This record gives sequence, C-alpha cells and structure tokens, in this order.
Amino acid sequence: MSGPVNTGHTSAAIPMIKVLGIVSLLCGVLIVITQITTLGRIRHNQELLMRESVEQLLPGFQKQIVYGVEPSGDLKVLQGLGVEGHRFFAGYDNSGNFLGVVIETSDRGYADVIQAMYAYSPDSQTITGFQVVDMRETPGLGNRIGSDKDFLDNFKSLDAKHPISAVKHGAKKNPWEIDAISGATVSSRAVGRMLNKSVQAMAPIVAKNLDRIKRGN
Amino acid sequence: MSEPISCHTPTAPPTTDNPFLNGLWKQNPVFVQVLGMCPTLAITNSVRNAIAMGLATTFVLVFSNTLISAVRKLIPNQVRIASYIAIIATSVTIVDYLVKAISIPVYKALGPFIPLIVANCIILERAEAYAAKKPVVKSMLDGFGMGFGFAFALTCLGTVREVLGAGTWLGFPVFGPHFEPWVLFVLPPGGFIALAIWLLTFSSWRSWRMKRKLAEENSQLVRVSEVA
Amino acid sequence: MNESLSHIFLDAFLINNFVLCVFLGMCSFIGLSGKFSTAWRMGLSVMFVITASGILSYYMNQLLIAVHAEYLRIITYIVIIAATVQLTEMFIKKTSPALFRELGVYLPLITTNCAVLYVPLMLTARNYNLVQSTVFSISGSGGYCAAICLLSLVRERIDLSDVTSLAKGTALTLVLAAILSMAFMGFAGMGGGA
Repeated sequence: MSGPVNTGHTSAAIPMIKVLGIVSLLCGVLIVITQITTLGRIRHNQELLMRESVEQLLPGFQKQIVYGVEPSGDLKVLQGLGVEGHRFFAGYDNSGNFLGVVIETSDRGYADVIQAMYAYSPDSQTITGFQVVDMRETPGLGNRIGSDKDFLDNFKSLDAKHPISAVKHGAKKNPWEIDAISGATVSSRAVGRMLNKSVQAMAPIVAKNLDRIKRGN
Repeated sequence: MSEPISCHTPTAPPTTDNPFLNGLWKQNPVFVQVLGMCPTLAITNSVRNAIAMGLATTFVLVFSNTLISAVRKLIPNQVRIASYIAIIATSVTIVDYLVKAISIPVYKALGPFIPLIVANCIILERAEAYAAKKPVVKSMLDGFGMGFGFAFALTCLGTVREVLGAGTWLGFPVFGPHFEPWVLFVLPPGGFIALAIWLLTFSSWRSWRMKRKLAEENSQLVRVSEVA
Repeated sequence: MNESLSHIFLDAFLINNFVLCVFLGMCSFIGLSGKFSTAWRMGLSVMFVITASGILSYYMNQLLIAVHAEYLRIITYIVIIAATVQLTEMFIKKTSPALFRELGVYLPLITTNCAVLYVPLMLTARNYNLVQSTVFSISGSGGYCAAICLLSLVRERIDLSDVTSLAKGTALTLVLAAILSMAFMGFAGMGGGA
C-alpha cells in the first residue's frame, strides 16, 4: 500500500489527474453539504447544553443574556453563543431579577485539560456554584471533582475577594480556600487555579458593568 | 517464534455467499483478523462509547465500501489508494459532523478517535480486498457485516470493562451500592488485559471446535476404512 | 494553552505515552515488537514521519484557517501523511536499500498508524505554536519508539520461556503491554501542577 505513484508519462498521467480531480470534487461537495445541513443542529445542541449548565448553577434561572467581552473590557450583548473564553452568562429569574453570572474557565489537570463553569455573585463577591463541563481525569480519583459532595460544598460560598487556592484535605481555615480531595490533589489544585485566574480577570469587568448587567441590557 | 507480521493475520477463506455474516463472525475484524486495535482499546471503557464508535465505524465502512465499489471500474490502478483514502477521509469527516449533531456529550467522549477512524486498518483493508473487486450490493453488505462485527467486539470489551471497572452497564448500576469498582479496567492497562482475555476466549473456542471437527472426520475415515 | 516546553515533552513522552496510555499505533506495536532490531528501525521511521508531517500540518492548518476551510482538515492531514510516508520510502530506498528491504511492507503501513494522524489533530485542538508543535511531535513519537523498543526487548526474553501455545502471540503481547502500561502510569502527575 503506497501513495500515488507517478508513471512519468504525461499521456498516462492525464486520466489519473482527471479521476483524482473528479473524486476530490465529489468528496468536497459531500463534505460541504454535510457541514451546511448539520450546522444549525450542532449550534442548537450547544446552546441547549449551555442552558442546562447555567440552570444547574443558578437556581431559579429562567432567562439568560450572553455578554461578550471585548478586548477593551466593554460588554456587548451577543445573540448566539459567541466565542468561548470571551463571554459570560448573566442569569435572571422570570421576574427579570438578576441572579448571578456564570463564567467558564479551564486549566490543565492531571491527565488533560479540565473545562468548568462556575456561578459568581458580584454583590457578595463570592462563588456560589461549580460544575465540571469536560475532563479526562482518573476515574475514581481525579474525576471526583465533578461529583464528590464534600468537594462541591466548597463552592457554596467561596470568598473571591482573596486569592483562591486549594489546600490539603482537612486544612481549610479561610473561606477563600478549597479543601482538596485526598488522593486527587493535582486535580483539586487545578480547580483552585482555574477559579482564581478567572475570578481575578472577570470580577472587575463584571463589577464595572454591574448596573448594566442588572438591568439586563 | 515468529509471528505472521502483517496488518492482519491469515484467516480462514471467507464464505463469499453471505458477506454480512462473514464480517460479523467468521472474519470478525477484531477477534479474528486482529485489526482496528486502537479504537478497540481506547474507546471501550464504557458501553455507550463502544456502541457509538461501532456505529460510526459501520457508517464509514458502508459509505466507503459502497462508493468505492461503485467507481471501482473507473479508477486507474496507480491512483487507486489515493482515491480510496480520499473517499474514506470524506466519510469520516461526514460522520464527524453527524455525531456532533446527534449528541455533543458522546462527541466529546469519543474525542480524537472519530477522525482517527481514517487510520483504522479495517476500512482500507476492506476497500482493497473486497470493495475494489465485488459488486455494490455485496460490498455494502460486507461493510455492514464488518461494521457490526466490529461493534459487537467493542461492545464485548466495553461490557467487561464497564461492569468490572465502574459497576454499571450503559449507565445502569449492575451491582449493589456497596460494589467497589475494579478501577483498573477503565484505565489503559485494563483495556489491554480485557482484550487479551477475549482473544484467548475466542481462539480457544475456535481451536476446540477445530479439534472436534478433526476428531469427527477421523472417526468417519476410520469407519470408511473399516467398511472397505 | 500556555504550557511550558518541558511540560509538553514530558507529557507526550511519558505521562500520556502515545502507545501505552492513548492507545495509538497499536497494529504496528503488536505486530512489529517481536524483534528489537525491527522495533527500533520502525520506531525511528515513525519518529521521522511524525515530526515531518507534524510541522507540515502546522503550516497547512494555518492556511486552512486563513481560507475558512477547517472542514478540510482530516483530508488535508491524511494527504500530508501519505505524501510524507511516500517521500520517506523513497529516501530510505536511496540511502539504505538494506533497511528498505528489512522494513518491507511496514513502511507504507505507517500511513495507517493512528499515532501519525493523532499528532496534527492534537496540535490543532490545543492550539500549539510552531515550537510547541515540534516538541510535541518529537517527544510523542519518541515515546512510541521507546515503548515499542521496550516491548520488543521483553518479548525477545519471553520467547525463551515456556508459554502454552494458545497464549502465545497477540494475547501474550497484550498482557505484556498491560504491565508496561501499568508501569507508565507511575509517571502520571509528573507534570505537577503546571
């Protein structure tokens, strides 16, 4: 089995080139048709998944506005989902009351990148919820960061005014510390790092535009 | 001891009258031909992923077998492999979008292994050994057979790994709440071990059947020679 | 991702070894690890193909992004790999006909080696720049080479032992690979916390 072999004769090369050209054209057409027909459905699925995640993090959630963060630090209301990394979700209940914002973050864990979302309340400057979106951590050890009840309790009211970090299991003294899962230190530390860096970056932006976000425009 | 070192081991001559059953059992791509090892080991840590990967590969096999068989007489010999690879890569791109459109969690779980279906030995082997020579309907059936055979093998492996390694089957708990999962089985070494055990099971079953057949034939010969 | 080069190197070589942890290149891993001499030659050829096609894929990816044709990625990478393997074949044939004869049919089979296609897919997914891509390609393929050489050394020893004929061959190789994989699990977490 080898790649295309050139016979060297131009007369014999032409039918080969013709055939390859037709095959490539056919393949290209098929790919483009597939992409066009599935694009809408894929986007719909992604939005649905996002809504579910936000719903879990903000109890009482009914409506959301997706804000895109411009490089200048200004906010822009997005129609669709926008680009990952430069957006956050503001959640409201059905009377239009502001519930909080949900921000995405990610960092390198034990095996691969961990992607997560967390709920942040700008009024109390605390993190009120945490949810893993995607991870490849060790089953039974690292991947307990997504399901271990005691670990997730850390995020019921995590102080974001001070730098957040994970400490050894049982050594938590301050409200800005996370009690790591014993046996899953690397994964727990990754969670601490990703929350810290995200909150440091996003909290000022949210605070600056808080009136606008609360109004919902 | 030298092992037959080729992409696949020599197998029993295929039964050409039913390509579907052939691919499903007699020339099962994983247990008999020992092809397509990469996804077999990587994706089988849960039954859901195993079935999804099996179906995706079946789609690619059927699509590429059918298309290649349809155009087999039009493609000159020298550009044969290049065209096959182009068609296979196209069907993999299509299945990539389809899986994403059907279920994003499954898409994330399968990860880079969907595009890696292109490098799955099974597909190119079937294209060259079968689809390039046989008519369209037979090639399509062969695609289904090999694909379902592959899915069956993946499910066998996935069952063992998920039941032992997580205590569930397709997400449903199999044992009670006090079951301590044998986590090794959903980790890489477990994949190797589970596949080794399945291969041993099937090859010993086959050799037992072969011995029985030989014993029957021998006893028949003895009877014939006694009569004569 | 802002990963340090040493981290990328360790990760691809040891922590997430292509063969023993990510399960790539299995067909050739099982089929070619019978003898050490075959194994290291195959390992080096694969290293060359992966590094060359990794760098080429990086540039092609930039081009595809520029023309908004990301859906052509899979086809493009496969074409690059097939071309690289073809070139490698011709190069080896010219420089060392003996090596060419020894590797025989496995050289073109590198095209269907999952590990080779995995590298450009990962470079794209993790958004590595050129230097990171090169380090990733070299260390990942080095990990493949190391794993196949290790296994071949073990298998050469086992050949001298008494194993039931039923278990000989693929099943035994897989069990040996399982033990190697368990050993490599010990490297996990070596990256520390970034």
